[in-house]
Amino acid sequence: MKSRHLLFLIGVALLSLAIGIMVGPVSLSPGELWDAIKSSGGEAAPIIRQIRVPRVLLAFLVGGGLAVSGAALQALIRNPLADPYLLGLSGGAGLGAVIAIAAGFGGAWTVPLMAFAGAMLALALVYRLSLVQGRRLDPRVLILAGVIVSAFTGALMSAIMALSDASALRNAFLWLLGGFSGASWPTLGFFVLYALIPLVLLMASARALDLLALGDDSARHLGLDVGKARLIVYLSTGLLTAAAVATCGIIGFVGLVVPHAARRLLGPLHRPLLPAVFLAGGAFLVLADALARTAARPLELPVGVVTAVVGVPLFALLLRRTLT
Amino acid sequence: MDDLADTIRLPRPASRIVSLSPASTELLFAIGAGASVVGRTRWCDYPAAAAEVPSVGDGIQPSVEAVVARKPDLVVLYKSAQNDPARQQLNRLGIATVVLALDRIEEFEHAAQILGTLTGRTGDADSMIAGLQRRLAAATVPAAVSAPTVLILVWDQPPMTIGQGSFLSDIVERAGGRNLFADLAASAGVISVESVVARHPDLILVTSDSAPAFARRAEWQTVAAVRQSRFVHVNSSAFNRPSPRMPEAITELAGRLKAMRE
Repeated sequence: MKSRHLLFLIGVALLSLAIGIMVGPVSLSPGELWDAIKSSGGEAAPIIRQIRVPRVLLAFLVGGGLAVSGAALQALIRNPLADPYLLGLSGGAGLGAVIAIAAGFGGAWTVPLMAFAGAMLALALVYRLSLVQGRRLDPRVLILAGVIVSAFTGALMSAIMALSDASALRNAFLWLLGGFSGASWPTLGFFVLYALIPLVLLMASARALDLLALGDDSARHLGLDVGKARLIVYLSTGLLTAAAVATCGIIGFVGLVVPHAARRLLGPLHRPLLPAVFLAGGAFLVLADALARTAARPLELPVGVVTAVVGVPLFALLLRRTLT
Repeated sequence: MDDLADTIRLPRPASRIVSLSPASTELLFAIGAGASVVGRTRWCDYPAAAAEVPSVGDGIQPSVEAVVARKPDLVVLYKSAQNDPARQQLNRLGIATVVLALDRIEEFEHAAQILGTLTGRTGDADSMIAGLQRRLAAATVPAAVSAPTVLILVWDQPPMTIGQGSFLSDIVERAGGRNLFADLAASAGVISVESVVARHPDLILVTSDSAPAFARRAEWQTVAAVRQSRFVHVNSSAFNRPSPRMPEAITELAGRLKAMRE
């Protein structure tokens, strides 16, 4: 049962990667595609090798990472509305990006780096606020701390926007809306560097997440070090999300809905759930990005728009079918 | 009649004008009405004399209070739905407003005529227009099949260009270039590096004055014009708004396009 689902999802993931590489604003015939993959000399080779392949791989890893983060946070906070941006990270990243641009050093490298720094700062702030009585990480306080940090960074962002050159900041917001236009091998490397360890840690926390979902007391009775497990999950999701924001802005919806969809199909146990969520999230984002690149070519749609427009009806359908 | 098709009537030529766009400020100075300008936006940077006029802040969603404090008898607004509330408030206070869409080369003449009439300087406006038309015609490079294709990159992350019918696109075409994305109707749009590669731009026009940072990014190395650093830099305000300086801007750009090809 379980391995059949997993095999199916691996198939879907591979298919999505193939589709992602085959389609784009430039139409290529299967022959040209094959030539580009075989040798680096042809006309289409740089498009495939330098642009599409890193972009599709990045979209897959980001989608998988966000979906796993969402699933883990939903268990950690015991709140079905949790998504990777709930804990103030998007606000911190946005503030970092806006500061970089408003201060006049908004370049292709500095904006993502400042966004990453802002997200990490927000992560640390929310963490500090949530340490009840200096020791325990309380999930209820965590969610509140996330909300107030978001509100605060949002207000600072609005203040900076009101006081500086509007056109550059409008473009900053376009970047924050999310997209993979900056994808390249170095960006992919950056994301893997920061995302690999958190991803492995989260996968390894599957049993801890099952226990956390039962409630603190039950988890403790079953032998879990609740504080340590929470800390690992919180820092891993935070780092993963910050890396995602820095490479491609804020892409909503993947981290919220993919875990719910997977739970409806596979049940709540995290050991089978997390790998499935990773594959499904990755495939979903690759396909959404393929649509974002091609729907209005040569213009690009923000990929977050596509994830919501395609994902909401799909999820609504799934909700109706599995509720009965 | 202004660009909202409203008719403006003034008892006498305007003598205290608040101009809420850099283009209209420059235009007022060009027709000799500079002495009547008593307020400007913080973006109005040309001519140098405009800097001596007090600033009232932003031109889009302006501070009505700051505008009224200048005791204007005419306020020139940029045509944008965001400026409607300010226009209505000013009209309720009995202050005349004129709304101008000054985004493109061909809108310039009409705007000059309106401001000429409202300031009692129709003669100056007409002779300025006549001179400009002559110089524009002289500066414009005839369209050629061999014209270099120019990617007009107004932002790099995400990459944004402008389509046909925007001011900078018109300037590029008149300077003997072809807008790489002339097929886009949108005045600005996000494009992918991939579609840039496939269209093989001869040159890339950027609005910075130094080598752009994105030129070092890996994904841009797929574009030959980036690898070979074929950038044209334009950063003077003459390239971002219609003005009497358009012919010089065209000639300057034409010279650089020509130099880049040789």
